[in-house]
Amino acid sequence: MRELTGLGASEGAAVGPAFVHETRRSEVGRKIIPKTAVEAEIERFQRAVGEVRDDLAEAEGRLREAGDEERADILDFHLQMADDPELAAEVEERVRGLESPESAVLAVGDKYAEPLANSEDEYMAARADDVRDVIQRIAAAITGEGTAGLNAPQEPSVIVARNLAPSETAQLPRSMVLGFVTAEGSLTSHVSIMARSMGIPAVVGLGPDIEAALEARTVALDGDEGRVVADPDPETIAFFGNVRLQREEERAELDEYRHVEAHTRDGRRIEVAANLGSASEAEEALGWGAEGVGLFRTEFLFMERAQLPSEEEQYEAYSAVARAFGPRPVILRTLDVGGDKCLPGVDQPPEENPFLGWRGIRMSLEVPALFGPQLRAILRAAAHGNLKVMFPMVVDAGEFRAAKGMLDARREELEAEGVPTGPVEVGVMIETPAAALGAAELAREAAFFSIGTNDLVQYTLAADRGNEKLRRFQGADHPAVMELMRMTCEAGEERGIPVGVCGEAAGEPAMIPRLLALGVTELSMGAPSIPRAKKIISSL
Amino acid sequence: MVEREAIVGFEEGIHGRPASDLIKLAKQYNSQVRMINGKKEGNAKSPLQMVAFARKGDAIVVRADGEDAEEAVEALVRFVSAGEH
Repeated sequence: MRELTGLGASEGAAVGPAFVHETRRSEVGRKIIPKTAVEAEIERFQRAVGEVRDDLAEAEGRLREAGDEERADILDFHLQMADDPELAAEVEERVRGLESPESAVLAVGDKYAEPLANSEDEYMAARADDVRDVIQRIAAAITGEGTAGLNAPQEPSVIVARNLAPSETAQLPRSMVLGFVTAEGSLTSHVSIMARSMGIPAVVGLGPDIEAALEARTVALDGDEGRVVADPDPETIAFFGNVRLQREEERAELDEYRHVEAHTRDGRRIEVAANLGSASEAEEALGWGAEGVGLFRTEFLFMERAQLPSEEEQYEAYSAVARAFGPRPVILRTLDVGGDKCLPGVDQPPEENPFLGWRGIRMSLEVPALFGPQLRAILRAAAHGNLKVMFPMVVDAGEFRAAKGMLDARREELEAEGVPTGPVEVGVMIETPAAALGAAELAREAAFFSIGTNDLVQYTLAADRGNEKLRRFQGADHPAVMELMRMTCEAGEERGIPVGVCGEAAGEPAMIPRLLALGVTELSMGAPSIPRAKKIISSL
Repeated sequence: MVEREAIVGFEEGIHGRPASDLIKLAKQYNSQVRMINGKKEGNAKSPLQMVAFARKGDAIVVRADGEDAEEAVEALVRFVSAGEH
């Protein structure tokens, strides 16, 4: 028995016989061809492409019939790549230069796959697998190794592999797969995405540890924790079996809470919302039962770009999330970036302490080219839904007034231009100890408070969130932090404005009762935590 | 030859599903269709060249050559800027 650790890529636990899959790799036997064979070799390449195309089309059709659109789309994309006119042109040119078609197709494939594989963007890096997958298939078809993919296991098994090509995963019969264990891969690689969409547990990224799993007869895995056990003893098998049952029960039970409105037992209504990083996450959040968005981070629009995003682009993004949530409230947080991240076109002097530096509302107030278009975009997008706005890093009412003044000025500007706008409630993010201490004054001017516990903890306890050694200072349950939150809630109650929490604490089972006891009425968290939070609230 | 500029409207940029749909659209025209994004240039009918071609907000040039160049450029510009598919 050996315990191995990887990345939990798809939740759930499983135990079963290992089915080892060896990745297909075409070896290039011949590099060059005689001049007289050129036309015949080109034809051979074309025939191979045709074979691969037919195979893929057939598999795609089967998946569509079974209603598995997601996996069918992947094969459709592979089919298009096999059919790529540039691939054909480049391979033909190389064959005319007397290179064998199998060597040519692998070389051209590498040319396209390599820049993707080297990309820092995990999504892009995963696309390199798609390219290599198709190319390997064509090469195998040229040399006559056939295009048969992964042999299907004959009994329900845990699939163990160094890497699984996307088309291989796509064709596995759902009923024969208990789980996936792979050496390569990240949370966004194909096998992970597919495993999640199929509801099959997966642990990826085991690295060299995979050897033990490849040799095992039986494999147990826990996709929540990223744990794998090779050749588990009977006790471990029983343990994993229990974990599996328990998780399934939990999940089934939590599913019932997804779309309920959460009330405490004494009848207090608590809104449970999602934190989003981009508009594309809206649909998934709604699926988890989000009743709104308690924190919409706008930073994603500004990162890794050559120019600042235009008002128009921001308007589109904010409108998209407003529309997705319809009448349900969406709270946009204006840009919160500091010296730790680079903004195009903004002169950011290097800082020793970026988290105590020129960031958030401090920067927005001083760079109208940054703040103006963002505020205009928010006001315009508000015409399409129920948008609210809040400012980050505020330390006193003066800052809030200044920011709100800029918002009002932009509104007048838009009205003078005859551009439609919508109503926008304006709130404050309570994430500095100063804002919590000054909550009574802020409550006179703000329409709502949202406590950002992550930063409030870091600033109150003077403990860097990213420092592993300071882990014990990361809890929002520290008495000093609790006291600041109490003051915030008290100020809110006095003025009749709602107080929400949008940090990690909002989704922590142990913190939820304590936050509600303080008087918090809205909790916003990572979407997958929503059903559990609703269940906890309903039990209080 | 016809060419026009477009700002990419897709949240995810031109890769994945939008790239796939873009290629299908380009293939409906007989003209040669090329896209230019800064130093990158590619055949709009080639998934390998379009797979990670542009991010949201990039200004790209759509260029077509052939009998239905005008229609091809118009359709692709509309598709690329719309951000919906």
